Formats: sequence, structure tokens, C-alpha cells
Amino acid sequence: MAINRKPIVAVAAAAVVSVSLAACGGGSTSGDGGGSSKEASKGGTLYYLTRTSAEHMDPQRMYVGRDLSNMNRLVYRGLTTFPITDDPDAKFSVVPDLATDTGTASDGGKTWEFTIRDDAKWEDGKPVTCEDFKYGISRTFATDVITGGPNYILSYLDVPVAPSGLPEYNGPYKGDHQEDYDKAVTCDGAKLTLHFRNAWPDFNYAAASLRSFDPYREDKDQGEKSNYQIFSNGPYKLEGKWDATQGGTFVRNDQYTESSDESDSRQANPDKIVYTQGLENEVIYDRIIADSGDDAYAITDRRVPPAYYTQVTGEVADRSSLVDSPYVSYLLPNFNQMKNLKVRQALYMATDVVASTTALGGDKAGTPAKSIVAPNIIGYAENPNFTAPPEGDPEAAKALLEDSGEKLPYPIKFTYAGGTPTLDKQAAALAEGWKKAGFKVTLDPLTDTYYTIIQKPSNDADVVWGGWGADWPSIATVIPPLFDSRINLTENSNGQDYGNYKSDTVNKMIDEAAQIADVDEQAAKYTEIDDQLGKDVAYIPLELTKFYFVRGSKVTNYINNPMTSGFPDLGAIGVEN
Amino acid sequence: MTAYIIRRMFTGIIMLIVMSMVTFLLFFSSPVNPEDFACGKNCSPALKAQTKKALGYDEPVTTQWVKFAKGVFVGRDFPDDPALKESAPETIAECPAPCLGYSRTTNSTVTEQIKEAWPISLSLAITAFFMWMIGGIVFGVIAALRRGSIIDRGIVGASLVFYAFPTFFIGLFLYKFLAIKWEIVKIPEYVPISEGGVSVWFQGLLLPAFTLSLVYMAGYVRMTRAFVLESMGEDYLRTAKSKGLAPRKVLYKHSMRAALTPLVTMAGLDLAGLMGGAIITEQVFNYPGLGKLAVTATRNFDLPLVVGIVLVLAAVVIVANLVVDLLYAVIDPRVRVG
Repeated sequence: MAINRKPIVAVAAAAVVSVSLAACGGGSTSGDGGGSSKEASKGGTLYYLTRTSAEHMDPQRMYVGRDLSNMNRLVYRGLTTFPITDDPDAKFSVVPDLATDTGTASDGGKTWEFTIRDDAKWEDGKPVTCEDFKYGISRTFATDVITGGPNYILSYLDVPVAPSGLPEYNGPYKGDHQEDYDKAVTCDGAKLTLHFRNAWPDFNYAAASLRSFDPYREDKDQGEKSNYQIFSNGPYKLEGKWDATQGGTFVRNDQYTESSDESDSRQANPDKIVYTQGLENEVIYDRIIADSGDDAYAITDRRVPPAYYTQVTGEVADRSSLVDSPYVSYLLPNFNQMKNLKVRQALYMATDVVASTTALGGDKAGTPAKSIVAPNIIGYAENPNFTAPPEGDPEAAKALLEDSGEKLPYPIKFTYAGGTPTLDKQAAALAEGWKKAGFKVTLDPLTDTYYTIIQKPSNDADVVWGGWGADWPSIATVIPPLFDSRINLTENSNGQDYGNYKSDTVNKMIDEAAQIADVDEQAAKYTEIDDQLGKDVAYIPLELTKFYFVRGSKVTNYINNPMTSGFPDLGAIGVEN
Repeated sequence: MTAYIIRRMFTGIIMLIVMSMVTFLLFFSSPVNPEDFACGKNCSPALKAQTKKALGYDEPVTTQWVKFAKGVFVGRDFPDDPALKESAPETIAECPAPCLGYSRTTNSTVTEQIKEAWPISLSLAITAFFMWMIGGIVFGVIAALRRGSIIDRGIVGASLVFYAFPTFFIGLFLYKFLAIKWEIVKIPEYVPISEGGVSVWFQGLLLPAFTLSLVYMAGYVRMTRAFVLESMGEDYLRTAKSKGLAPRKVLYKHSMRAALTPLVTMAGLDLAGLMGGAIITEQVFNYPGLGKLAVTATRNFDLPLVVGIVLVLAAVVIVANLVVDLLYAVIDPRVRVG
């Protein structure tokens, strides 16, 4: 899912928005370490300080990595979930959650079966049933009410599509073509069966990452009005109301039993978790670094602002963690503008990733990426076409440009998501490298209109910025959404294919990959496609974003779990009591 | 007087209508598509079209404005979908008159949100108002009475410094040192009087209000000083002094009265402006008032919320203008309302 760079009004924002859309990528603990050695203990209050408010608390509408992971640990259990680990090299795995096992695939990966546990309860004591799952999944089809969320999965379930391009079934509120949905998703007692249009060999990973396949109680559903209502089946429940801008407080759910949860992913250590949203990054870090009062029990999902790096020393450094995020930043040559392959190759060779990353904050902000796919994602491999030194090779780039037959200096317009001094510095650093190779660069920073402008097929940028993190740990959630021209390119929009890349070869390979039922074989096919993208210079990898956090001194068992997007794992963290 | 008030109120209503139209037009002339915000990033063109329809943005701007205006008087239901009303009435949000719209990003009526946020902005504005008025007038008068002295220069210099610094800098500076480092005041947090009592409410309010007051106080110090000095040079004050009136009486009864008249106009308008939210202060201190709500609404391209806040703010300024004009006549006998 895309990384959103959204500058805010009046107050300077951090370099790259760390709360990005859904992801479940890999991470690796490094540098300052990612965990706290203090043993977890039950009790106390954990404070969660953040800037960006949750857009949705409705499981079927959520699409932000932080919220998907956190709410899964606290209130929304799914069919499967990810185990707790801070091992950066841990191979991705899923464990059963509300299902008795991690699911059984059949029909070449097109059908999945799960058996729902009979001992899990909602916060009012009623059991979680297969029907609750069926109802929850049906809500994603009500796209006129349940807006947002990973709605592209509508096309995965085997429900007929209308000429408009939307499914015939329009969700439980209107219920048109209900019979189609009833064939695609069935309940036979506790047995839930899902029928998909194509092979979905790693569906159980998607179910762990996204909340779209979570259960929902029909009698609690008020459609759009339910956006901030939280009805829990996890170890915590919301106390009072969720404030859309300020947050809320979670307390223990007395209907949750440890025996009904064999995932070992919810230690549920604090008695209470207080969420405070809307704080500026600088304020968050002033408070956490000062470590006084309640702030000693605080954690955050916000990255340390580069200006605060010098304060993270001594005792504060002991409270810091530096881990890989699942997000990769990259550049996209606009194929409507930059049609000459040699020019695109020259652009890549001249790209100074080191200077770009330094402008963002150095090794605590990111490390040079070798692919558009994050390491640890199933199917990751260094793209063999991106072998230039990370600081670029201006001489080789110049030679390529001269060999391209184009008139020099070659003019390019770089449109990027700007609005902060850090992002402007990054753009300037990139431009400097390109100029050395013979490009004449015009910088075009945009703020709130960025995606609107670059998504227009007629936009005249030669290069644009992009960012992405996988929706679940599979390369299949990276390549098709970004480079399948058939789902992206229309008359008025290029979707996520901001570079207007169109390749029949790549599209054909994507179709072939979609038919493969084995996870590893499918991933290998996508790796081949990535290689082809590299040959075409469909993208230029920049940096793998790093997460650099500091926590309060009285936080225990602190873990940045690579399987939950590298954010602090609320399933493990506790506080001194 | 009554005719004057009615005339001014009528003009105010016309202004509100025009402002709502202008806000609508500006919103739709922007290159940003509001449905993109609601639909998410992986949205197909068909889904975008459906989201646009669900939000009601597929209708002509004039139709949307007429529906909005009608809602102010008779209320509305959201979404306005007859099929949904029949099949799933529990999903319909009712917005009783005066309905200013329904925010699809916060999933509540604009009126409800403004009702929740306004007391917070009001608390902040009034507390800051008292702080800056007292500080501004006291220091301004002292500076005027000690004209040319070190005290005068110190006060004027300090006010210049606070006037020059941006609010977010002063706010973050005070937050960092007074609240976080030295722990002199509590971490700012709005607690309604009904929940924590006056003491907790005030403690949570102290730092944001102080920040806001410093910025305004600086201007008021300089203006009070200038007005007092100006009035002290007037002939009628020389006459009062030569008649043998006590200096204190000359200052408070004659000089201050003349000096305060223009300050009242300014203070009224400043206070009215702040009632619509102190955007930067609320943002820095995470105070969920109208200012922060306005920023959030703008960032989310939330038209109903933006229009609602604009109208409430405009209404407050229009009413405050009228009140100030009426007060002006009371304070300054030379002014007569016709």
C-alpha cells in the first residue's frame, strides 16, 4: 500500500509520514536495537502518543498499517494472526486466531476453509460465530456505505461483476444479488468457506494483515455511523467513546479468556492503554525524552525527527530502537514523457541515493533499497538491474545520455511530494546528482494536490516520487497494484501506476503468476517480473525507510515486530507496575 | 436603534449566504477530488464514481448548495438514499435543523462537532482575553506613565519580542520548558469543568491561554501606551489637571476612557476571531477546539465541516462587530448610533 506524504498546514511535519497505509512487510532490528530486555509484567497504564488520528476504527474500513496491527492485538481478532517476535530475520508465519487452524486451501488455492473456535466471545458475552465472519466480509461490498479500506479485494471473491466494474452484490444493507455472495462465502456450522476467482495461495497471510476478513456483529452495525464504534472480541475494550481527533482509552475486556486465544500473540500486559492522538512529533519526543510522569510509560509510532537525533544519547539511546520498516521509496520515470530507455538508464545511474537518504536524516531514516520490494517480503530478491553504486555513477550516466541520441542537456521536471524542508532537501540532493550527468532539472514540489496531479495521465512530469509497503508479506501485493496497466491506466487516471508504465509482457507474466497455487512458485514468478521492470527502468529504488523510535523508561518487553509492520507490538509491551 | 440592529442583522445574513456560496465554489474549483479522500488509494474508476455519488458530489454545485441551505431550516438525512432508508434505516444519520451538514470523515453531524469544539475554543479565547487585556492595559499604562524610563523601554522591548516571534515557536518553547522540562505547569489537556471542576479545567488551559495571550498582549501594550500618551496630550486633560483634579482621577476618569475606546473595538474583533478557534495554538497544544477542527477539515477536504466552521466563525464576527459598534456608543458619548 502506498506511503502517503501529506504535509500539514502551518506546522512543519516530519520528513516522511510514518503512519502509512497498510503493510505487513519485513523489518530488521539493527543499530540501536529493537527490544527492551525488561521483563513484561501485568498491570499499569501504557500511554500511546501519536500525531495522526485513526481514519477508521471500523475493521472493514481500516487501511493503515499501524491501526490494523494495533487493533488486531487489542480488540479485533481475525481468522489468523502474526506471532510475536522481534527477530528481524524471522521467516513470516501465521498462527490460528479465531480459527482453529491456519486454514486449508483447495481447488488450486481458489477455495479456503476455516473452522471457527467455539469459545471466543464478544464483549457482551455472546459467542463469535461463523455467521459473524460472513456478515463482516459482506460489509466490504457495501461500497456506498463502507468507503475506504482495501476495497480491491472485492474483485478477489468469486462474486459476479456488473458492467459498471463493481460486483453485482452490493453488501448487506441493500442486499441485491445476495445469492451470489451466499455462494462465494458459506457457513456450515462453524466451518467458513471462501471461494475466490483466482488462486490466492497466501490468503491466510492476508487475513492476518487486513481486518477486512474479521467478524462483525450484525446487530451492532450502523453502517457509516459505526466508523468509530469498537465492539471487541479481544483482550481489551473501549472505555466510553472514541474521539476521532483525540483518541480513547482501552480497558480489559472481562469476556476475553486466554484459553480462547492460543495464538500467543496477546500477552495483554497493561490494565489500561490510553491513546492520545493529534500531538506534534516534536512535542511527543520532548515528552518521551524528558521521561517524566506518565510519559515514562509512553510509546509512539512516530519516528524521531532528525533534529532530535543528537538528543538520543546515553540513557535515551538505551530506550531507542532502529528497525526496518516495510516501506520502500522509489522514483518513477513517466513513460509518456521519457520514452528513451537509455535516458531512463542514465537517470538511474545518476541517482545519488546516499545523498537523498542523507537529506532525510541519514542511516536512521533509511538505507538504499535494491528493489521496490522490501527485504523479508516473500519473493524479495535484489533486482539484478540495479547494480550502480548507491551514490550514483555520473560518468556512466553521462555516457548513456550522450549515447541516447537526445539533445543535451536533457531537460527533466521532477514532481515530488514536498511541503517540508526535509523533502525539499531530498529533491535538491537528487537533482544535484542528475545535473552532474547532463540533465537540466526543474523541481516541482506539490503538497495536498500531489496525487491528484501525478495520477493524471496527461501530467507533464518526467519523474515522480512514490512509496509502497506490501499489504501482506507477499510480492504479489507490490507488483500487480503498481505495474499492471490494465487495472491502473484509464482515460482519466493512472491509478497507482504513476509512471504510466504499460507492458504487455509484464501483464502477461502477471496473469501467469495469478494462476500459480504454490506460494513460493508464485513469488518466484513475481521476482521474474521485477527483473523485467528493472530492465525497462520502470522504477528506480531509493531507500528502505527506517523506523527510529524512543520509548519511556518504564516500558517493558518493548518489541518492534517485523511482522506487524515494525510498529511497537501492543501484544507484547507492558509497563512497570 | 432597533432599526439599525435589524438592518445590520439583515446585512449579516446576506453575508453568510454569500460566504457559504463562495466556500462551495472554492471547494469545487480545487483540483483535488473529494471522493479520492473517501475512496482510498486503490480505488477503481467505477468505485470512485460510486463514492462520489454516495457523498452527493455528483450533483451540480447549485443543487448541493440548495440542499445544504434547505437543511439549515428543515434538517436532512445522510446518506440521502431512499433505497438505503428503506432497507437499512439504522444506517441513516439524522441531522436535525439547523443542519450544517454531515462529515463523512468524522461520521457525525457538523452541528454536533461544532457544539463539542466550541466550548473549548471559547474557554481558551476568554481566558486568554482576560490575560492579555489585563496585562496589555496594565503594562501599557505603566509604560506610558514612565515614558522614556528603563521600565518603559523594557516593556516596549519585551512586547516587541513577543510580537515578533511566531505563535508556534512561543507555544512549543513554553510547552517544552514550562510543562515538560521544569514541570511548572501541567501538560495541557482540555478537561471540561463538568468533569474535573474549575481548578483542573484552568490548569489544563493555563499554558495554551498564556501562549495566546502573550502574542496579543504584546500588541495591546504598545497600543495602550500610544493611546494613553495621545490622550494625555489632549486639551481637556490639561484643563482637568489645571482645575486641580487628582492625577489618579485624571488618568482613570478622563485619559483611560478616551484611550480605551479604540481598544474595545480591537478587543471585540480579536475575541470574536479567536472564538472561531486559535488555529496554531490549538494545533501546538493538541486542543480539540474549532481551530484544530478547521485544520483537520481542510486537510481531509471535508466540505460540510469547512462550510460549517466558516459560517459559525463568520456569524460570530458579524455579531461581535455589531456588539462592538453598540458598545462604542456607550463608552464614547461622541458617537451616536443613527
